Amino acid sequence: MAAVLELRGLSRRYGDIVALDDLSLEVPSGQVVGFLGPNGAGKTTTMRAIFGLTDLDGGSVHWNGKPVDQKTRRRFGYMPEERGLYPGMHVGEQIEYFGRLHGMSSHDAANSTGQWLERLEIANRWNDKVEVLSHGNQQRVQLAAALVHQPELIILDEPLSGLDPVGIDAIGKVLVDQAHAGCCVIFSSHQLDQVEELCEQVTIVDHGHLVVTGTVDELATSGPRRLVVRVECDRDGAWARSLPGVTVSEIRGSEIRLVLDDNTDSDVVLTAAMAAGKVTQFSFGRRRLSEVFRESLA
Amino acid sequence: MRPLIIIGALAVVIIIRVSMRMRKRRQQADQAAMMAGEEAESAGEATTTGPVAPTASSHRAANFGARFGDVGIIAMREITERVRGRIFRVGTVVILLAIGLAIIIPNLNHHSAGSGVTTQEVGIVGSLSPEFQKVVVEAGKADKDDVHFVTESSLDQAKRNLRDKSLAFAIVNDDALLLNEPPSDSSSPADPTLVQDVAEYFGLLHSYQSADLTSAQIHSVTNAQSIPVNLLSQGQTKKVNATSVVGLIMLFVLLTQYCTWILIGVMQEKSSRVVEVLLAAVRPIQLLAGKVLGIGLVALSQAVVVVGFALLVAKAVGSDVLKGSEPMALLAELVWFVLGYAFYCWVYAAAGSMAERQDQVQTLAFPLSIPILIGYIFSITVVSSGNASPLFKVLAYLPPTAPFAMPALVAINQVAWWQFLASVLITLAATAGVAIFAARIYSRAVLRTGGRVRLKQLRNS
Repeated sequence: MAAVLELRGLSRRYGDIVALDDLSLEVPSGQVVGFLGPNGAGKTTTMRAIFGLTDLDGGSVHWNGKPVDQKTRRRFGYMPEERGLYPGMHVGEQIEYFGRLHGMSSHDAANSTGQWLERLEIANRWNDKVEVLSHGNQQRVQLAAALVHQPELIILDEPLSGLDPVGIDAIGKVLVDQAHAGCCVIFSSHQLDQVEELCEQVTIVDHGHLVVTGTVDELATSGPRRLVVRVECDRDGAWARSLPGVTVSEIRGSEIRLVLDDNTDSDVVLTAAMAAGKVTQFSFGRRRLSEVFRESLA
Repeated sequence: MRPLIIIGALAVVIIIRVSMRMRKRRQQADQAAMMAGEEAESAGEATTTGPVAPTASSHRAANFGARFGDVGIIAMREITERVRGRIFRVGTVVILLAIGLAIIIPNLNHHSAGSGVTTQEVGIVGSLSPEFQKVVVEAGKADKDDVHFVTESSLDQAKRNLRDKSLAFAIVNDDALLLNEPPSDSSSPADPTLVQDVAEYFGLLHSYQSADLTSAQIHSVTNAQSIPVNLLSQGQTKKVNATSVVGLIMLFVLLTQYCTWILIGVMQEKSSRVVEVLLAAVRPIQLLAGKVLGIGLVALSQAVVVVGFALLVAKAVGSDVLKGSEPMALLAELVWFVLGYAFYCWVYAAAGSMAERQDQVQTLAFPLSIPILIGYIFSITVVSSGNASPLFKVLAYLPPTAPFAMPALVAINQVAWWQFLASVLITLAATAGVAIFAARIYSRAVLRTGGRVRLKQLRNS
């Protein structure tokens, strides 16, 4: 699959703070790509740089091998982290307006607006002002504004934050469908379980430079063996912490995820678990994205 | 005149009611279209126009804006949203009411003093010679009254007609006037000035007849003209030009209002982060130009409506508020409203891009309003006194104060055409410089978040 978006050596400093440090990246089309990193890692600065919303000290952004200019950006869609809508403007007119600014005719913008509002199940809110909508519906309007002009590249900064599970499913499905239709979809999120579900590829950045990138499958199957163990009435995994060659990776309720050294025998772990209580689960598992994230930044 | 006020007030109420009803109907039509779309969708019919059809008016506006590219689309949104806004509609109605009342009320007082054109039915009891009739008609013309004579068969008949107010007053045998109530009473149909004049002139006529003057002599005496009064110097005091004062007040109100709109509009786009989405599609200069153009067109339209309304009302009620002014003064104020807006809109937009909150807007707006206030106050003083100091003449060439000072000089006729033109050229040149500088500040500051932006920060960025 040909890479279409290329970031070449992006650098940006704000005084003493390094926001981007020679960041280079290639993003293929037809996939949903998760853009991850801790707070202040440079995710938003990278996204803003793609749209020319921040001046770069160095580096360049390319689309299909050519430097991105204003004309090219009109074929991109952007959904910023904070709400980027006119609160007092009507929903339908607002989405049409953004479509027009991306080069659509009035008629096409109106048609596309109607279709997106229908698809996002807010068609009955056409004449409502944005400010009277719930958070979830405002998020849907924001998404419609980013998609109304059928962009080739869609960049979304935290599109899932503050949404209920139904909202996450609805927006997630739209993103996956857009990628399957040939779009390049990049979004940032701290909800790693959702990212793992939606994305084919993940890129993690920290301190303005690339830490790791790859498909979710590659990242999940790489690294040392890991065990998923459940012991009744055990919530802290104290029994596993003293085992040599075993590291507690994550604890979620009664589920304990353990990373094993190459020389560690899993039977030793099972024996220790049975001594701690009744074992209800004992299996080898894939690396979770949250584990990839933590281990990459460690 | 009262019916005029009532009609005016009713017209305003009707306009508001009709516009509200039309808006409600539009919403109902949109909802009906939406429901129809949903029904068609559920019935499995293919829909190609989306679930809700936008209104035809919004399409027309959008198409009109598109002719001017992205700037036109942005300007059209500004126009639509501003005109639709309650602040604009209520503000326009309030300004029109204020202007209307400012013209009508002085005219009412004028009318009570006998200068309004009214019909006066005057009864004649007994005989009234043509000479006396002519005096009544001439007095009526002087007092802007259209006099109709009604011959009464008897004094009792005249009294009945006076009581039922079909007569303003009656002339009894050319030596007495009869009225139902004092003419100064609000219920009296008689023009008190006409009554006063007729009584005085009839007294004079009787005196002339007693002195055995011939008709020709009486005519000569009653048409006596004042001798001319010639002055060696025009003196320091001139008549206050009411039109210019009203124009300067409107200039100040509109300029301040629309520049503040730009300031707040830019700040709101920045604080709501919508500017990020907009600048992902268009250049900062396009966004800025569309905004100032859109709001500027709304401002100019409102100014034209206000001036047109004032002229209409003034003509309808026979006011002389606008008649005394020189057309040049009005024209100069209109020209300088456009130039003043063109100069200040960039400055206010740049200031708006540096703010993120309402309290920051107020802090930024105050220093910007100082030159406007100085120009306004000095100009009102000069137009009222009719005399401009050398310092004031300098202000007329400085772009921040010229929008007020130069029209004031035109109003008191103390400026030559080339001086006016020189000031226009200086302001245009300064506006170009300010626009370039403001656009740079805007494009650097509008995407900066996390508190108010300082000029020093922009210089280092």
